Amino acid sequence: MKHPEACIQCGTCVTVCPVEMVGGHAIVTFLADPDATDYSVWLCTSCWRCHEACPVNVDIYGLMMEQRRRERAPGGYQGSFECVMSSGLALRISQEELDQLRTGWELERAELPPSGLARVLLHVDE
Amino acid sequence: LEFAFYPGCLILQRMPEYELATRAVLKALGIELKIIQQAACCGAPVVESFTGDWLYLSAYNLAQVERMGHTTVITLCGSCTNGLTRTVHALQDAEVCAEANRRLEPLGLSVTGQVVVKHLVRLLAEKEEKLRSLFVRPLSFRVALTNPCQVFRPGGVMGVSGDDAMKPHVMRQLVELTGAEVVEYGGEDECCGATLYLAAPKLSLAAGRRKLEAIHQHGADLLLHGCGNSQLLLRNFQHVIIRDAPELRQRALFLPQLIGLAMGLPEKGLGLRGGFWR
Repeated sequence: MKHPEACIQCGTCVTVCPVEMVGGHAIVTFLADPDATDYSVWLCTSCWRCHEACPVNVDIYGLMMEQRRRERAPGGYQGSFECVMSSGLALRISQEELDQLRTGWELERAELPPSGLARVLLHVDE
Repeated sequence: LEFAFYPGCLILQRMPEYELATRAVLKALGIELKIIQQAACCGAPVVESFTGDWLYLSAYNLAQVERMGHTTVITLCGSCTNGLTRTVHALQDAEVCAEANRRLEPLGLSVTGQVVVKHLVRLLAEKEEKLRSLFVRPLSFRVALTNPCQVFRPGGVMGVSGDDAMKPHVMRQLVELTGAEVVEYGGEDECCGATLYLAAPKLSLAAGRRKLEAIHQHGADLLLHGCGNSQLLLRNFQHVIIRDAPELRQRALFLPQLIGLAMGLPEKGLGLRGGFWR
């Protein structure tokens, strides 16, 4: 990852990061210390606190997403992504199961997206 | 009054009581929701982590809203609200919008991006006066709330006019309107850590533990959420988080369930059954 020129390494992002609060190191560790190697962009929770708090408006979220696309994803993300590619949703359910669920809760019927939808909309090499 | 409703994967499949309570509360306000048929994943942050094309999946959902003839879509989850709103912003660029329409064309859909994405907490905040008149039962709970982060940040895009993106007030105000007390445990504006679960389950559970410990120290009757992710971690995974510390146990409600109780609506119609109202 390339360290953003605008970053002044003030460390504000680290102090507001929920991952740092539990001892994990997300992208914000790298921003405060470009030599850091013990961080992972996949640990970011997308809470946007660092992005909002940055005094020089570094696009931290954008940087993190770009770096994720260059890296191999952890199993949880990979599994959810493949589920979206095959079913259009990040969690798997059949129309029959959904119908049963919604009937039980007396909610109006909801149709699942057509299969193959994500392949039409996303031009991704899997 | 009728709005389109985007359920999102998690609430559609795992948390029907959130939708049920939302519908009950909005019905009392004279608002009906029409669910988007064939809605897809909002794309953020899962698909976004793999491709910049995630915008077009999100745009598909907005195209469905436009096809329904609606200009406002109501959301219940932070991530979905955030992803759909950022897509509306992206579609204001003519080239992005043209590309979205190229991809939607084979599906018989089109999109203009003229849709307002509104999370339930924002919609309820707009109806404060009407809510006040509908509240028949002042609540006396001590409520430990977690703000749905992605509904408010980035502030410039999510449009938090009059509110503070780092310390939003709207959910807090709604809780106080019911008579309930907001517990100041220090984590109200902190991310719950649920999305960490996809990459590092142990850290995610540690984030949940940190929150539950702070809440326990300050004393609360219930947790309150306006997002499926925080409910997933702090309610559905709570038994794992507190396995060695049963004193941390807390019941967890969704915002409209609390609002509905203050309205005196029947608990069953708010999804407070089968152990949810513990």
